[in-house]
Amino acid sequence: MNPNEELIRASVHDAVIRAVTEISADAKGLLEDALARETNETAKSMLSSMVENLSIAKQADKAVCQSPGYPTAWLTYGDENMPHCVKDAIAEAVAEATKKGYLRPSMVDPLTRVNSGNNTGKGVPNIEYEYVPGQKYVDFIISFKGCGAELGNAMQIMTTAKLGKNLSGLKRFILETAINAGGKPCPPYGIGIGIGGQMDVAAKLSRKAISTRRWDDVNPDPELATLETELKDAINSLGLGAAGTGGDTVCLALKMERAHTHTAIAPVCINFHCWVARRAGIRIHDDGHVEKLL
Amino acid sequence: MATYHLSTPLQEEDMRKLVIGDVVYLTGHIFTARDMAHLKIRGLLEEGRPLPKDFTGAAVFHAGPVALKNEDGSWRLNVIGPTTSIRMEPYADVVGKMGIRAVIGKGGMAEDTVRACGAYGYVYLQAAPGCAAKLAQGVEKINDVTWFELGMPEAIWDLQAKEFGPLVVGMDTHGGSIYASLKQAAFEKIDALYPA
Repeated sequence: MNPNEELIRASVHDAVIRAVTEISADAKGLLEDALARETNETAKSMLSSMVENLSIAKQADKAVCQSPGYPTAWLTYGDENMPHCVKDAIAEAVAEATKKGYLRPSMVDPLTRVNSGNNTGKGVPNIEYEYVPGQKYVDFIISFKGCGAELGNAMQIMTTAKLGKNLSGLKRFILETAINAGGKPCPPYGIGIGIGGQMDVAAKLSRKAISTRRWDDVNPDPELATLETELKDAINSLGLGAAGTGGDTVCLALKMERAHTHTAIAPVCINFHCWVARRAGIRIHDDGHVEKLL
Repeated sequence: MATYHLSTPLQEEDMRKLVIGDVVYLTGHIFTARDMAHLKIRGLLEEGRPLPKDFTGAAVFHAGPVALKNEDGSWRLNVIGPTTSIRMEPYADVVGKMGIRAVIGKGGMAEDTVRACGAYGYVYLQAAPGCAAKLAQGVEKINDVTWFELGMPEAIWDLQAKEFGPLVVGMDTHGGSIYASLKQAAFEKIDALYPA
């Protein structure tokens, strides 16, 4: 149990409601920058609609996007502060948000396609728990990631040969994936790339990279930081543009994470996140102090 | 790039005038339909059974709204925006046979739709993605809902639209597709960036 269960319940509730009613400030800033730089007329119109949509939604107290996406939360905790209320708190907030019209009921059984009607169901919300020895606070980040973006995702178990000289094979795979994704992931999007482990590890890293990191941060891993900038610029130079109808910015952010893998393989997962970055993150210290992360 | 203000029932000759890049605002009947509705409509057409609505000259919107129920049982629209259209690519001919003149969505469609746009005389219109609060301002009301048992996103919502847009012609009746052109040009750039 956490010493502040009730505080955590209330804070998680508020974070979920914040996540579904606005987009995170980092993504909003990058979107506005992209509009200011854009030279293509159609892209300017698309980006203007996006910026305008944010203020209309805020003024009218409405959802930014009709699709609730799919909720995943990341929870880290220490030795004696694992909260027990998080799953219930998310479910309650999601049910409330659904009733109020912030979230369209959209979770279905994967085979029968029957809609649960309240945006919960088996395995939903998905929560990734992580124990961090000695941590004197709880970190909670939730992300409602759109699912059109999922249709652009790609995974490949690469090899030493496929990575290529100076990683040219890896870079080509990432650019080809962006071209094939086109306008499907609601550009200007974010891209999370997980490399390493086996398929499952790379996939989880890819979602975590783009859903939990600030889109305007710099990777503390200098090699990945260089790759992130190079690949984001390369993807933008392809001319795909906002909405995928041509223009200067199709990618707002590209975030990479790596883990060691087996010498035979290099699993790579590429994970798109639409521009509607519905995310919220908080840190709840054991002394009761609550800090905003995202 | 021209701008058009069009009303349903949309006429084939007007659709054939449109070229990629043109901007369209739509007034009249817009029906939402996504994966399940298309699947069900294809089944009805194959069995020669009647469709639940007259789609002649209307627009189909790849979308599922957030709708709220009023006390009298009617529905009001909260927000609505486009879903990813490529999922409906298998129904390029179904849409033509329904008499639909415009498909509204996001992300574009593929070769079968390019061909069907020319053959049947319909166009594909790109809405701004993720802009559900703004786009909802172009919908006056929900006329009714069909097949609600499919769930809120998958049902067919009959929307009364007024100056719904802006929508960009992404695929026209002349074989033009913004998406195909951009894809080809982008693939040509890869070799210069990262030689194989």
